[in-house]
Amino acid sequence: MRPGYKKVERMNGTMRTIHWVNVTSMIVAIATGLYIAHPYYQTFMADGAVDKYVMAWNRWGHFIVAIIFDVTSIIVFYLSFATRFLEKKPYEKDLPSGGNIREFFEVFLNLVTLNRRKKFDSSYLDSFNAVYFTIFHLLLAWMLLTGLQLYVHGLGAGVSSIGSWWPWMLHFITDWTIPVSGGSLMDVRISHHYTMWWLIVWVVFHIYYQVWRTIYWNEGDISIVIGGSKYVKDEES
Amino acid sequence: MSDRIEGVKKLFTSKSSRVDTNRGDTYYKELFARCQARLDELKAEQPVNNRVDISEMLETQGVDRRDFMKWVSATTAMLMLPSSFTPLVADAAMLMNRAPVIWLELQDCAGNSEALLRSDGPKIDEIVLDIISLEFHETLQAASGHQAEKQMDEAMEHFFGKYLLFVEGAIPMAMGGHYGTIGASGETFHDHLLRAAEGAAAVVAVGSCATFGGIPAASPNPTGAVGVMDVVKGKPLINIPACPANPANMVGVILHYILTGQVPELDSLLRPKFAFGYRIHDNCERRAHFDAGEYVEEWGDVGAKNNFCLYKMGCKGPMTFNNCSIVRYNEGVNWPIGVGRGCIGCSEPDFWDKYAYERPMADAKIKAPTGGVEKTVDEFGLGLLTAAGIGIGIHAAASLAAGKKSDDESGESK
Ligand code: HEM
Ligand code: SF4
Ligand code: SF4
Repeated sequence: MRPGYKKVERMNGTMRTIHWVNVTSMIVAIATGLYIAHPYYQTFMADGAVDKYVMAWNRWGHFIVAIIFDVTSIIVFYLSFATRFLEKKPYEKDLPSGGNIREFFEVFLNLVTLNRRKKFDSSYLDSFNAVYFTIFHLLLAWMLLTGLQLYVHGLGAGVSSIGSWWPWMLHFITDWTIPVSGGSLMDVRISHHYTMWWLIVWVVFHIYYQVWRTIYWNEGDISIVIGGSKYVKDEES
Repeated sequence: MSDRIEGVKKLFTSKSSRVDTNRGDTYYKELFARCQARLDELKAEQPVNNRVDISEMLETQGVDRRDFMKWVSATTAMLMLPSSFTPLVADAAMLMNRAPVIWLELQDCAGNSEALLRSDGPKIDEIVLDIISLEFHETLQAASGHQAEKQMDEAMEHFFGKYLLFVEGAIPMAMGGHYGTIGASGETFHDHLLRAAEGAAAVVAVGSCATFGGIPAASPNPTGAVGVMDVVKGKPLINIPACPANPANMVGVILHYILTGQVPELDSLLRPKFAFGYRIHDNCERRAHFDAGEYVEEWGDVGAKNNFCLYKMGCKGPMTFNNCSIVRYNEGVNWPIGVGRGCIGCSEPDFWDKYAYERPMADAKIKAPTGGVEKTVDEFGLGLLTAAGIGIGIHAAASLAAGKKSDDESGESK
């Protein structure tokens, strides 16, 4: 440990696992999603149709990561209110209180002034990142809802192997995405595909920002997601 | 916006497209008794106008009793009734001329009338439709001008509260509705429709134009075209979309009405579930090729010759609910995907703008929400990514040139 710095625990094992599961799921969702959108390879493999199943496997992969995403999102949502690992629960950083708004702009100003001013506590989750992660979860929620709407089209008869409650529930929780995205089933699909790009943009900035922070704040931020902790200047020493 | 909110409310309260095909013996026994009573009542009545007898008609067209009964059992199954209802459906078909029908023709191409009138040999569906009592059909009647108007008034008065109003075509709303007028007095389509709907027992919108505005309502929709359900309120309304609507589904709806006196179970877009509860993609004979990843890449290639899936040629079967993959057209002869072209989603709202572009959605140029620009989703997306990349690039370069690192000696900048 560098002299004058103290270690701050930021993410426990569960949180880090969720992070990397999400990363993997995202990569798989994008790769398989783009294949579904433009099936670009292996149309003319020599095998008969029943053996190769290329689209079917891609859709299967897409749905598996979708379900994993569903589950991790629910856990993350729960943890943001219930975690006992962090002193301050993440949702508290999202509330539009005076202190949070001020912190949000301070962190933002730190970024645009290229770290020339740093007037906030960087040891724990700050409001800027809290809002940024919330945007991610909203985008993801939209992907889940539009994705499940696209998925329920395949259960047109209203029955499934696990019972009729499943398509019923999917209709109940996702049918509103049709009018919201423009009125037809195709609008839902356009929106599902388009939102993928917002997620990709989100990821690109996310990675950049974490690397930038690591370099300019000099507090080892990147290791939060690997070893679980970062370093901050120890005021008392 | 308030329309959208209404739509959301409707969707939240709507049931899924599920049709319960086994509601138990008690339900069907009761329904059977009800249908039988209704048919007996209808039998006692005189045919309204069209006195053609269906058995004679079938005979002259060379359809024997056996073929007719085959058709009846297929239709019973299509209506999702148990096979014990077959004799009732046969009776109902015989009584088709007890249902007076008024048929309006608005902003459209007459394709549904065309479908109803058949193009080659008459099929049983079409023969049965022939004997419905078409009291008034704007395209088919001999009368014109004031005389035609008089006929319609008479039919409406005579059968007030009893007739089924079939509507084909969209309703232009722009310019006070003056894009479409009809008759000697120049009544707008809008007023004409409302007047005819007043005495109707139920309104049936046939074809995509009458249901969702269809082609006339395609962007930029110069005439402000809308569907019947946007105009007619407070009447039982059935939508039979598709371009053209399948005569089998028109017969299904009329038969159901004759049999039960009620409209069939509908989905949230008011389409009968017996016809629109199926997704094209799930009943498509090319589906194995879809799952295998075997696609037609261009017209006439090896894939096309081997009946590969048409997804990459723009087939919208995965997003389209209709029964043409099951009942097909022209009495089961064939259907669009069977003849080697993709589905264009003709039974879905906005199909012309959102489905019919003959390439996968991801490769089609669509309008930005702001209108104007037309790009594919990926072009919009790459545009976003480029903008983000430029922003990040500038920030990174500036940080390298002028960024201030917090370091051990100076500590944080305070
Ligand atoms: C980050 C997450 C996700 C990404 C990046 C993503 C991306 C995509 C893309 C690009 C498509 C192709 C759309 C097109 O045709 O142009 C697609 C299709 C689809 N996605 Fe996702 N998706 C994600 C999450 C989900 C989730 C959570 C579900 C939930 C079940 C889902 C279900 C579907 C379905 C059902 C389709 C249509 C596939 C078909 O009908 O063959 N997706 N996705
Ligand atoms: S041709 Fe169309 S409906 Fe048939 S499997 Fe392919 S995509 Fe689906
Ligand atoms: S295949 Fe599609 S476009 Fe063709 S008639 Fe059927 S629903 Fe309409």
